[in-house]
Amino acid sequence: MKLVCLGLNHETAPVEVREQFALSDGALDRETEGLISSKDILEGVVLSTCNRTEYYAVVNGSSGVVELENWICEQREYHGSREGVFYHHEARDAAEHLCRVASGMNSMVLGETEIFGQVKKAYQRSLEGGATKSVLNKLFQRAFGVGKKVRTHTAIQEGATSVAGASVELAEKVFGRLNGSSVMVIGAGEMSRKTARALQSRGASSVMVTNRSFDKAVDLAEEIGARAVPFSGWEEELAHLDVVIAATGAPHFVVKPQHVEAVRRKRKYRPLIMVDIAVPRDIDPKVGEIEEVYLYDIDTLQEMADQARKRREEQLRLCEEIIREEIEKASLPAVNE
Amino acid sequence: MDCLKESADPHLKGWLGKGSYMGMGIGWVVIATVLAIAGGVVGAMSLRTERPSPVAFIWMTLAFGAQLMALAWRGGLRGQCPLGDVGEICLFLAGPLTFFYLVTGTTYRVSLLGVFTAPLVILLQLIALIPGFFEKNVISADSVDAWREAHTSLSVLSYGALALAAVAGVMFFILNYRLKSHKFGGGLVHGMPSISRLVKAMARIAVVGWVILTAGIIAGLLMPEGNFSLHLMVATITWVLYAVLLGVYFVRGLPGRQLAIGLTVLFVLSLVVFAKL
Repeated sequence: MKLVCLGLNHETAPVEVREQFALSDGALDRETEGLISSKDILEGVVLSTCNRTEYYAVVNGSSGVVELENWICEQREYHGSREGVFYHHEARDAAEHLCRVASGMNSMVLGETEIFGQVKKAYQRSLEGGATKSVLNKLFQRAFGVGKKVRTHTAIQEGATSVAGASVELAEKVFGRLNGSSVMVIGAGEMSRKTARALQSRGASSVMVTNRSFDKAVDLAEEIGARAVPFSGWEEELAHLDVVIAATGAPHFVVKPQHVEAVRRKRKYRPLIMVDIAVPRDIDPKVGEIEEVYLYDIDTLQEMADQARKRREEQLRLCEEIIREEIEKASLPAVNE
Repeated sequence: MDCLKESADPHLKGWLGKGSYMGMGIGWVVIATVLAIAGGVVGAMSLRTERPSPVAFIWMTLAFGAQLMALAWRGGLRGQCPLGDVGEICLFLAGPLTFFYLVTGTTYRVSLLGVFTAPLVILLQLIALIPGFFEKNVISADSVDAWREAHTSLSVLSYGALALAAVAGVMFFILNYRLKSHKFGGGLVHGMPSISRLVKAMARIAVVGWVILTAGIIAGLLMPEGNFSLHLMVATITWVLYAVLLGVYFVRGLPGRQLAIGLTVLFVLSLVVFAKL
């Protein structure tokens, strides 16, 4: 009896290969069912996310990853090159790999938390489908414990690693919770969409979009559930805003000190955070000299994101130690035997 | 006029002996200081881990307990509110400061505020511990005037709240400077409450202090002497200045930095003036 893990992810396979192996919820159940119907496979869990598809199986004596790989490629009707596309782990290596995945150490964005829920869901489906028994049940329970420990005992998930995330982090440093805060996005491009979405995900309720081309503002507003404001009217809205995101393609400053000065009394001098993610910049740096204005440009945000990534990478050694210790301590059949 | 007599706690003093009783009282001040140091150190260490520690809150709670014991000792000696010497004033100021920190701490996620409150509490208690600042031969009051007691205790209590508002103001300066100058590194920025919360904390704690100061001044005006002393006049001017500052903030609005400057300067200034009186 042996534990094996076979899979492919964003590091080993391009998206056109990954999409061939990606499984919807319904297909995932059928795949798991098919996996354990083989007499050599005693237990199985299939994990499928946008960046990875992995098979965890407890196999009988002589069977191994080659048989599993053949079966998977057959199921997915994959006839392309397999060289470097798949990775495999056995016994303890497989257990440690699962812990890394559950901890977000193997994710495209290091330390991201979504993967933990995805692993949990994949295990739950297999459990309900009767595809797991003592080995995988113990292993996955252990992996969830390790995942939690890694996140609570290290800084693997701390700090924003994207420009949009860094904007949200700064807004929260100024306002605390963003629930009920008002946001205006000047410009209707991709960065505006990402940043507005990130702010909405943290509770920003009133989002406005303005753009020189009003149609584009309407399109983005509809997409993200915001309100489009004509470009001629954004200055009036400034009195009620908490966050301004500027990302236009304008060759000159769009937001100038006089725009903010004009509404300071009306705003009762409440803090205002301004995020300028445009190049050339949209917001005159002099705006940042106004007492209650906190102005950040793309370089600052990028530097924050880079530092957070670096900090997360520095935590990897600590995470590996935790995983090694926890797997060592656990008495897992087909892993430590 | 108050009738004066020997210490109001002759039984305990007799049982312990005068020296032991004094030593025990000083001991509570020392314990309170050590506990506040522990709270400050644990709080400062939590900055390095970027996680505000609840342990700092526990140390400060224990420090407050020791302060109460010390105040009870001095109150027992005087038979009235212990505000008769420099040591007692420092102790009486440190007590409410710790109390308001404990009360507001959980609301404003300010276990970190302990890092900023603890040094002030420690300083006040160290001043109190300077030999001679606690009078040895205290004459106990035979009877007390309720209005005078209310005036002094409420005034000092209000200063505890106003001191904490000033501490929150100092926190605001630091966070504001770091955010405006894009210096985000270290646990200090990470562990602090947000700018908005700090502004609200400053204003609300100052309002609490101002309301208590109002009650203190009213009690002062009702004292039997009835005269509007210099001391009471300064307290009233302080009250007016705080009223103007808070009024402007709530009615017209004020940038957080200006509120922080106002609260810090007013507190330090009034403290200096009272110390000179």
